[in-house]
Amino acid sequence: MEVERVSGLKFHKKQDVAIVGAGMTTFKRRLNETGKELSFLAIKQALEEADMDLSDIEMVVMGSAPDAFDGLHMKGEYLLDGSGGSDRPYMRVFVGGGTGVFAPIAGYWHVASGLADVCLVVCEEKMSSCMPHPQSAFKYIWDPILDRPLAPNLIWIFALEMNRYMHVHNIKHEDIALVSVKNKANALDHPCAQLAEKITVEDVLNSEPMALPVRRLDVSPPSDGAAALIMVAPHIARQVTDNPVWVTGVGWALDTTMWTNRDLYFPRYVAEAAKMAYRMAHITDPRKEIDVAEPYDPFDYKELHHMEGLGLAKKGEAPILTREGVTARDGDLPCSPSGGLLGVGNPIAATMGVKAGELYWQLAYRAGKRQVAKEVTTGVCQAWGDLMQVGTVMVMSNKR
Amino acid sequence: MSVGKKDISCPPEAPGTPLKDSDIAEKKVTYVEDHPDIRYAWTAGQAISRFLNELKKGKLIATKCNKCRRILFPPRMFCELCYKPIDDWVYVKDTGTVQTFSISYIDPDAKPLEKPVIVAVIAVDGASKNMAFMHVLGEVEPEKVYIGMKVKAVWKPEEEREGSVTDIKYWKPIEG
Amino acid sequence: MFNEKIIDPAELRHWGGKIELYWIYTSGEAGDRFFKALKDEDKFIAAKCKKCGKVFFPPRMYCEFDFSETEYVEVSGEGCVRAFTVAKLDKNEKPLEKPEIYAIIDIDGTDGCMIHLLREVEPEEVQIGMKVKPVLKDKAEREGKITDILYFKPS
Repeated sequence: MEVERVSGLKFHKKQDVAIVGAGMTTFKRRLNETGKELSFLAIKQALEEADMDLSDIEMVVMGSAPDAFDGLHMKGEYLLDGSGGSDRPYMRVFVGGGTGVFAPIAGYWHVASGLADVCLVVCEEKMSSCMPHPQSAFKYIWDPILDRPLAPNLIWIFALEMNRYMHVHNIKHEDIALVSVKNKANALDHPCAQLAEKITVEDVLNSEPMALPVRRLDVSPPSDGAAALIMVAPHIARQVTDNPVWVTGVGWALDTTMWTNRDLYFPRYVAEAAKMAYRMAHITDPRKEIDVAEPYDPFDYKELHHMEGLGLAKKGEAPILTREGVTARDGDLPCSPSGGLLGVGNPIAATMGVKAGELYWQLAYRAGKRQVAKEVTTGVCQAWGDLMQVGTVMVMSNKR
Repeated sequence: MSVGKKDISCPPEAPGTPLKDSDIAEKKVTYVEDHPDIRYAWTAGQAISRFLNELKKGKLIATKCNKCRRILFPPRMFCELCYKPIDDWVYVKDTGTVQTFSISYIDPDAKPLEKPVIVAVIAVDGASKNMAFMHVLGEVEPEKVYIGMKVKAVWKPEEEREGSVTDIKYWKPIEG
Repeated sequence: MFNEKIIDPAELRHWGGKIELYWIYTSGEAGDRFFKALKDEDKFIAAKCKKCGKVFFPPRMYCEFDFSETEYVEVSGEGCVRAFTVAKLDKNEKPLEKPEIYAIIDIDGTDGCMIHLLREVEPEEVQIGMKVKPVLKDKAEREGKITDILYFKPS
């Protein structure tokens, strides 16, 4: 039974929203700075790029994933002073891994509604505090009665989805491994990268088996880091810069926690969120109209899975596009030119820097060595989270 | 408000101070270690309480929604698509089909396992399409498992059952 | 009308569990400075904002109000009591042998306060505004944590 979610939605807004600055800290397995200090460093860089002061910021949105990683109850409130939240309206949003794109969407609401003209969006994650391993916190995402007695590891759910995806479309692991090779190589040009390296498909296929078919080089690492974005109204954008990047569409959708009741080969939660964002942005043929994409890639097969969910490839077509080089940085539809989570790191919410932040830098032609070869006008970034549940999508353009 | 037009070709990253595990072990930086004692008692609720009690008896139970005609497994007290309470309890069989599977070499804390665990999503016979749940497979070699394989539950003996999903030891392939 | 529900409480199940995680919290840039100075040199460090002049204690790397950098300054660590409370139960609500006094102490030369224990004084003698000074652990036992200050006592 399919449910059409987008049909009844109205897209009234008071003003357009532009992004004029972004910043991110280096991503590493363990950083000394506290969460507050990381947020401060990322925000300072974003303010410098936009040539603004903290006093120019009117409202703040903070995105941060489970409190269990930092080990601090009410993490959003704790991080407030490092996030510029003293003296101004401040809120925290959280949808698991989808927070990386959901926090800018919440920032979008603040400005598009006319409640603020300048909104700061910051995401922070300090996974290294969690012991014995940040993975251990994921034990508690499972249902305590139905799942936990079986001693599951979160990688299981990815392995089950990957296997289903490979089975339905008859895809080989070699084609999926190409994504890991591409992204880790792309990340060599990213100064914040944690795991950038040149590897081959054989390296991936011979790496340590975790939960087959997932192997170690198919997975992104846990990291510490922070990222920030500055979203402003049109009249402020004009004063700050000659080339603001406009947010033309946002969408988000969640699916049920009963993930075993869904066919996992297609991420319908991403498709629903993309439908909403594309409708807002007046995009009817994403494959032709999107110039650059940053799909969420915590695992290599996930990039392909999400490309199909975003409508950038037909079902089962994504691995073919990767094999033919279409998704490389000099290809027709570059995907994850930043190096993605596989290459740069995966600090859950702070992946905003690698998804929304990177898309902004690409469309503003400020990505330096990572800049894609073709001319870019419109791009899409996406995040995913929880037990295969959340799709959050944002479409940006440098033309209004 | 201070504004200006700035053109940076590629913003450098904001710094951070990376640490190694040995830096913590050798106390090169100050830190606090906290081992809290966090305990929970989660209520199973109506549907899962009945589900667990039926497991103890060696049976699998599901619930039915008369509006969309789906038989929901694992059972729940309301149909999440029709958003109304369910209408009846229905027993389902303890056989099913493998929808997807994985061979896991790691335990919940990401430490290696001696013997791999085969985990599968099994669609149970008698419930609606895609009404599956997660469990483990046994009495089968990892290489022989395939999607679409028919399996049957192997139960613990009655005196060992406690009303938990582990009352089913594992699912094994049905011959033929 | 469907009402085949469990009404006998003995039939309702619950599932017990623990969250078995533990955490290592690094003190961070500013925190590391503070604790190392306290541990190795018996010094108290605060941070002064280069723009607005506010002095933060414990020190921070940034001023939370205008996000400019701070410079580290030394303070004596002495202060006066701004507020206090007398605790008669421990954190598990069992009675303490001897009541503990917790106080918010305004540290001299800073715009900040800290919370710590007051000892070597009877609860009845504590007054708001009373001058206090810190008592540190023996150097050999210090660990780089807030407990390196054992307590504050009247000066």
